[in-house]
Amino acid sequence: MAETETTPAGGPPAGSHGDRRDFLKWLSAGFLGLWAVGGAGALAAYLSPPKEAESSDNVVRVGRLADLHVGVAQLIRHGVKPFFVLRTDATNVVAMSAVCTHMRCILNYDRERKGLVCPCHDGRFDLNGNPLSGPPRRALPTYEVSVRAGEVFVRV
Amino acid sequence: MSASPKPGSKPAVPLSERLWRALAWLEQRMNVTELFSFLTHFGVIYTPIDTQRPLREVLREIGSKPVVSYARWPHILGLLTAILFALQAISGTLLAFYYHPTATMAYESTRTIVRDVPLGWLVHQVHAWGSSLLMAVVFVRIVRLFWDGLYRAPREVLWFSGVMLGYLVIQIDFTGRLLPWDIHSYWAAIRGLEVISTVPVVGPVLAFVVGGKTLSQDSLPRFYVLHSLVLPGLYLAMVWVTFASMRRVGLSRTDEAPPATTTFRKHLADLAIIMLLLFAGLVTLATLFPFHFHGAADPYATPKGVQPPWYMLALYAVDQVPVPGWIPGLLALIVCLAIPFLPAILKRTGGRFDERRVRIAGVAVFAVWVVLSVIGVIVERS
Amino acid sequence: MSGRPTPFARRAAVLGALALGLALAAAAVRSAPAPADAPGEEMLTAASGRCGVCHPRDRVAFEKSPHATEGLHCTSCHGGNDQTDKASTAHSGASWRGRLTKPEIPKLCGSCHSNPKLMQPYDLPVDQYALYQTSVHGQRLAKGDTRVAVCSDCHGPHEILAPNDPASSVYVTNIPRTCGRCHGDSALVKAEGIRDTYHAYLTSVHAKQLFDAGNLSAPTCVSCHGVHGATPPEGGDVNKVCGRCHTAERRYFLAGPHASGMSRGGLAECSSCHGDHAIQASVTGNLAADCVECHDKNSAEAKLGDRLLADYRGASEEIEQASKWVDRADAVPIETDDFRARVQEARTYLREAMTAAHSVRPDIMGSFTVRARSTGAEVTEEIQKELGNIRTNKLALIVFWFYVLVTVGILRRFRNARPQGR
Repeated sequence: MAETETTPAGGPPAGSHGDRRDFLKWLSAGFLGLWAVGGAGALAAYLSPPKEAESSDNVVRVGRLADLHVGVAQLIRHGVKPFFVLRTDATNVVAMSAVCTHMRCILNYDRERKGLVCPCHDGRFDLNGNPLSGPPRRALPTYEVSVRAGEVFVRV
Repeated sequence: MSASPKPGSKPAVPLSERLWRALAWLEQRMNVTELFSFLTHFGVIYTPIDTQRPLREVLREIGSKPVVSYARWPHILGLLTAILFALQAISGTLLAFYYHPTATMAYESTRTIVRDVPLGWLVHQVHAWGSSLLMAVVFVRIVRLFWDGLYRAPREVLWFSGVMLGYLVIQIDFTGRLLPWDIHSYWAAIRGLEVISTVPVVGPVLAFVVGGKTLSQDSLPRFYVLHSLVLPGLYLAMVWVTFASMRRVGLSRTDEAPPATTTFRKHLADLAIIMLLLFAGLVTLATLFPFHFHGAADPYATPKGVQPPWYMLALYAVDQVPVPGWIPGLLALIVCLAIPFLPAILKRTGGRFDERRVRIAGVAVFAVWVVLSVIGVIVERS
Repeated sequence: MSGRPTPFARRAAVLGALALGLALAAAAVRSAPAPADAPGEEMLTAASGRCGVCHPRDRVAFEKSPHATEGLHCTSCHGGNDQTDKASTAHSGASWRGRLTKPEIPKLCGSCHSNPKLMQPYDLPVDQYALYQTSVHGQRLAKGDTRVAVCSDCHGPHEILAPNDPASSVYVTNIPRTCGRCHGDSALVKAEGIRDTYHAYLTSVHAKQLFDAGNLSAPTCVSCHGVHGATPPEGGDVNKVCGRCHTAERRYFLAGPHASGMSRGGLAECSSCHGDHAIQASVTGNLAADCVECHDKNSAEAKLGDRLLADYRGASEEIEQASKWVDRADAVPIETDDFRARVQEARTYLREAMTAAHSVRPDIMGSFTVRARSTGAEVTEEIQKELGNIRTNKLALIVFWFYVLVTVGILRRFRNARPQGR
């Protein structure tokens, strides 16, 4: 492999099979280029963060209905999708995303005005998730709530 | 690939010429050759470079002159040391993208790398196997330098830096082992720290630097910093010293014949082939014989079969002799200090030791070390 | 100051100090008050007077109880004279009652124990006698039946200890045996026409928890039947007590159709399926088997029972499969702690599904089995993917080497090619 000066055992003398040489050169370049492409692809695959394991069925048990007081919103810190659970009256519970659709700040619940307000730019949402004022343009995603045997479940 | 323009076509400026012109533009604004010469400090090219000349000229000269071919035995050992270190640095950096150096997250993040990140297992295993290969290569190089008497003037600095590289590699391995924070590495590190602490002066200082003999929450970040910044920095410094010395005293030659030379093209190709085969070998080892790690570390449960790392077994065996702990530690310290300063010691003995005698002494010391390590294993097992 | 003390003087001083110390210690030991004796056979207290000369066993038993230390004497209940050891004198006098008869006992005990002023310093309840009179024991006693329990049958006649004293006959682990003296006596039980509930209880999971596992919260006879007002259950009343510990089961039960249906039919809620005294740990197979006890074999209800069981079994199998795959992964080895944690989570959901089964509603129970099932399925899938990846990697290695060798060939061509004129 590491020989000293030897007679070149390379390709045929220049000129006689020029096309073949060119073709082989392009082929070699391409092959070597594949290393670069493969390496870049492998690097990209490695550096992309692995998907977070989604919880099964995406149904979150929030707690007991009896523990949710009317008019009080509870923030559920569910992974990257936190949401509010709010009991509007004795029988109705609503759930909506707690992430502002403007710049992704976490919202606060405003008891007096019965809505959600964003501490970053004062964006406001009503209890259906619709933006009322401020920079947010898109409505908050709302989630399906089911109450079974006194337990509250939210499907995010 | 500088293709000459075909006859009859408009004189198009080929890509290579464009690049050279861009380079000239840059050279009017900064000393690019100086930047390039940085490579020579780490041995990619170790011929001296005149940094006042334009880069194009320098490159042309390098490319046209014959190169002493060191991509062959025995110089390949040094080459591999450098290549493997570069591989370790790259794989280590990639691992660091996902690794969390805290006691609570270390194991989980390592497991994420190995199991969930695409090709993470490959990076991890390449790093693990690479470290074993690097240690082997550094060690073999020291043995070969010793055997061929290449510690004598004027190569004392090379011998010193070579031995220091060996010590550094051991320390890098020791600090790196703990990082996965799995049950065996945790306890092996504790055993290792115990063994180290028996060495007078140096031991307690080292234990202090890493945050104490008992591994706590704060030890792991320190191990991490040592492993990824401080020790590799020192290693690079030693590599730099090696090449600085090599530029002065030249590549070693065991006979009087002129050194074998080769063209730059051949040399470059040889380097590329070596790197490729080395990488392929590591990937093979990584796939077929992966290192496994078991369960997260539990400070309250010691598993069976915990040993100090293999390079500490000899000192561990000597520690078992019922004398105060600092005596074997002191012996170990003396031996470890003596080895890099071997040329000075030999000078002191005034030439009584010829090459053959030194070789025999060296083999004897090595044999003692091996026997002690085996004893250490046996003591552990019982 | 006269120079340094001589060696002799020093020795004398040390010895003197030692002697002084010893003397002081001896005095301290001697003057220390004698430690309070636990009531033992050697003690002769004022409580029993001289009765113990002829009645030693009763004296010993009495003096173990708090009655003796709280100012009661033998004569408090039996009357007579306790200062003499002559039987004729002792067993006489206006207050002499002698051996008490059964009908006398509850009233006599109640004369103190129903008096709030007397009991208030001890913070003891005063409703025992009143409750006793409502109980079957009390009612039958009032009618003249003396084959019932009175105070002394459960608490003992003389060695009456507090219920939290492990030596007491009414300590929690001793209660079954105390009740069982009658309710487990086969002759008595047959004669009275009642069931041997004591031995039935001993086979139950509650008894196993109480005696084998040492779980002092496990129910005993009094937990369900009441203490002094013990009454056998009518129409399922006792079953309401089950929900005091088994809260979740009761909540789910109330959410299902059985609650109203059984109360209309006058059926016992819990014991209809689980039994009353010989309650065993629940077996999942019974989920469908018990339905036909009340429902017709081919009815929709029985089919519902089968469906619930099938749902449960399906989820259980999914989990077992996942667990097997985790073991297989361990053998490779692949790190599996988090997989095991998820399998454990799935098992927890499954366990809750059994509790939710008390509602006999597939939607409620299903919300748990679905989660158990999907967690198990996910774990299986992920492990299979891991194992598949390992296989794929080995195959990819071959392709990789082909790639490497071709590249080496190209590099060699480059190496050995004559350089074009630079």
